[in-house]
Amino acid sequence: MKRFLPTLIAALVCAAPAPAQGPSGDSRPAGPSGRSKNVAVTLVPETTSVAAGQVLTVALKLEMAPEWHTYWINPGDSGLPTRIQWTLPAGFEAGPIQWPVPERIAVGPITSYGYDGEAWLLSELKVPAAAVVGSRVQLAARIDWLECKELCLPGKAQLALELPVVAQATPDPTHAEAFAQARARLPLPTPLWKGEALAGAKAIALSFSEAPGAGAVEQFFPLQLELVDYAAPQEATTAGAGLRVVFSRAANPAALPATLEGVVRTADGRGFLVSVPLREGAADAVAPPKARPEAGGHGGAAGGPSLPVALGFAFVGGLLLNLMPCVLPVLSLKVLSFVRHGGEGGALRHGLAFTAGVLVFFWALAGALLALRAGGEQIGWGFQLQSPPFVAFLASLFLLLALNLLGVFEMGESLSGVGGAAPRGGLAGSFWGGALATLTATPCTAPFMGSALGFALAQSAAVNFAVFTALGAGMAAPYLTLSASPRLLKWMPKPGRWMETFKQLMGFVLLGTVVFLAWLFGRQTGVDGVAALLGALLLVGMAAWAYGRGTAPGAGGRSRLVALASAVLLLGAGLALGMTQPQRAADVGSGAATSGGLQWEAWSPERLAELRAAGRPVFVDFTADWCLTCQVNERVALASPEVAARLQAEGVTLLKADWTLRDERITRALAEYGRQGVPVYVLYGRDASRPHRLLPEILDAATILKALDETL
Amino acid sequence: MKRIVLFATVAGLLLAAGPARAAAVVGQPAPEFTLTDSNGKSHSLTSFKGKHVVLEWNNFDCPFVVKHYGSGNMQKLQKAYTGKGVVWLTVNSSAAGKQGHLQAAEVAAKLGERKAAPSAYLLDADGTVGKLYGAKTTPHMFVIDPQGKLVYAGAIDDKPSTDQADIAGARNLVAAALDEALAGKPVSVATSTPYGCSVKY
Repeated sequence: MKRFLPTLIAALVCAAPAPAQGPSGDSRPAGPSGRSKNVAVTLVPETTSVAAGQVLTVALKLEMAPEWHTYWINPGDSGLPTRIQWTLPAGFEAGPIQWPVPERIAVGPITSYGYDGEAWLLSELKVPAAAVVGSRVQLAARIDWLECKELCLPGKAQLALELPVVAQATPDPTHAEAFAQARARLPLPTPLWKGEALAGAKAIALSFSEAPGAGAVEQFFPLQLELVDYAAPQEATTAGAGLRVVFSRAANPAALPATLEGVVRTADGRGFLVSVPLREGAADAVAPPKARPEAGGHGGAAGGPSLPVALGFAFVGGLLLNLMPCVLPVLSLKVLSFVRHGGEGGALRHGLAFTAGVLVFFWALAGALLALRAGGEQIGWGFQLQSPPFVAFLASLFLLLALNLLGVFEMGESLSGVGGAAPRGGLAGSFWGGALATLTATPCTAPFMGSALGFALAQSAAVNFAVFTALGAGMAAPYLTLSASPRLLKWMPKPGRWMETFKQLMGFVLLGTVVFLAWLFGRQTGVDGVAALLGALLLVGMAAWAYGRGTAPGAGGRSRLVALASAVLLLGAGLALGMTQPQRAADVGSGAATSGGLQWEAWSPERLAELRAAGRPVFVDFTADWCLTCQVNERVALASPEVAARLQAEGVTLLKADWTLRDERITRALAEYGRQGVPVYVLYGRDASRPHRLLPEILDAATILKALDETL
Repeated sequence: MKRIVLFATVAGLLLAAGPARAAAVVGQPAPEFTLTDSNGKSHSLTSFKGKHVVLEWNNFDCPFVVKHYGSGNMQKLQKAYTGKGVVWLTVNSSAAGKQGHLQAAEVAAKLGERKAAPSAYLLDADGTVGKLYGAKTTPHMFVIDPQGKLVYAGAIDDKPSTDQADIAGARNLVAAALDEALAGKPVSVATSTPYGCSVKY
């Protein structure tokens, strides 16, 4: 054994030289070695001698202390690749480092590519044919590396091997297995793969129609710098014999190279070296992979819910939507209609039509959201009610429905399809009833729904539609159940005079909704705006009355014409007045206010940052006037005496982010918390290094106090 | 009629207010921010309209930063360009408890030791502005023109290493960008890959 030993020259190290590290279970030095504080480096020759005209493979073995890493040839966001500079006798030639497949190392928002544990970097040295057998050669290398855990330290070592020149080099059996393993970690060439890359403005898709041997692909490591957003998620899919990886481009992308080069890594850690033509497509040719909602502001990763869980939440959320004050009146009407069409197959048909209405509307909403999101709009759940003209339109619509229920006018059968939620409509009426119920339900972010929607909007279009479908199914479920089982319908009350009473009562409930909408409109546009809206509603009401008079039994042909014409004129004038009035009220969206004895400040990312920097505890309330849950939470839980006193005693700064009107900054901030709608409550403790805490969407005093105990 | 015009304007503004990108993009307006400096003074990017602004991401304990401060390279740049009216903002995004984090009171001594001369040393302990700009490394350099447009983002020079000896032979990309920008010329190398330690968010 001893005779195989090459003569070793002790390592000269920048830092304190440490005893050389041998391979496991072998105390014999493996080769010249050195170390820095956290990394030991050793040069390991594959053979104990060199032969003229042949190639010697030398490994640079890097052994990292736990949690420390060194870098790949492309280090990613930060770091430096390890470098070897050879000083060789005349005629020797050193090849480049053969880099093993790297690991992805993510620390907060910074993602690097490198190695932890142990890495073997192989280099091939070509021995000249003229090397004289019997002489000895000295192969010296200066090694530079950067070692990082969270902090980084540069390391360097000057190492040298001295080997005899012989006729036939002898492999060193001690390292045969290690070299075999090191070679197995190198990315494989891919001469049989057929692929190309297509670049959009924001993302690049790398696809192979044939990728023999690939198996389950995990991600792509680019060899080129400045091309890829390293921290962004990648989307890797296997399709038939091929595969596809989509990744985001860097924020400041370099000019596109003609070929894309890098390593495709499989789930089991194998790698494939690829080089494919890169083509620039249209800006929107490739959609960037969706980011998973980031829950922790300080890297406290809580992730989003999984798909089945999100679907379950969405279904339950949909069910609960039925209980929302803004939906209840509409749905009660549907129950009435079921009673009317009760028995035989009629109820089921109406139930299905209603379900279809709900689903179609949810799909339309999902489609609109996706389209807007694709257009880069910063919107979120409940956004419809951020638009004053839409609020005015809704108020007019609800007034008409209320007047209809109160018997001011009756919808003709011919109009029932268009007449929307009028209770006496046919199948089309049931369909539109479902759609209307959904329209009014959307702003009420029910418990469970925020999380499910946050999940959905951050996912692919297919998942998005699945979640919206689950929401719709949940909402329609009780009605479908009722209509499918006539036996259950028997438990419903019998039709009779009470129905008229109930219908008129519901008319008043709808008028209540109009009051809520008028208040909301007033918050958005001010007192002049709300006066104009009331004027508009008056005209709309008169239009309904005129229509009712004109269509009443016994009205003559001429008076009918006059009544209908004035109805159309009045309705047009009313809608025009109501919808063209809006202007932004000065105080909306500022958020600064005193309520329930609590002093609120307006939220802004800067103010939050400032308070965090100063180590002040902060409570952020993402709210909107049209969000009833928010109003209840603020009035009942937050303003309760013990909570208010505690907040004051702890010196918690209260920031209110008012989303009543559209505000991109708030929408973005919500997305950062993984949410798409309000309410969202965030508590930051004094210690800036600890993650923030999200409170539930339905608050009570005990929950807040407990959160304060645990977080501050 | 007036109301219709007003409404149309408001609606137009709402629609036109496009989303801001997560990272600063060269050639586009640099994201607005407000940060407090080590003397407790607040600085907004908008208040420097009309001047060239340099943002330098800093962590004095990072070997790459040590390279450029230990050699006097960074201080030289700061003095040369603040002398020409450039606003030089050094930003520290190290979170509390992480490497390089500084309390406001500690900054003056650190700057004094190194004879550093930024216009202001800004504290960004929660990383808001660092993340807004997509600052990855220390140093990571940004140059903003007098109109508020980002004209350079990337490395300080083209020799990624921790070795002070490399500075002499390196092309300083920030100086090159500033020289061109100050002369009213387009910046020829407007982006490069920053090198350094990761920002300790």
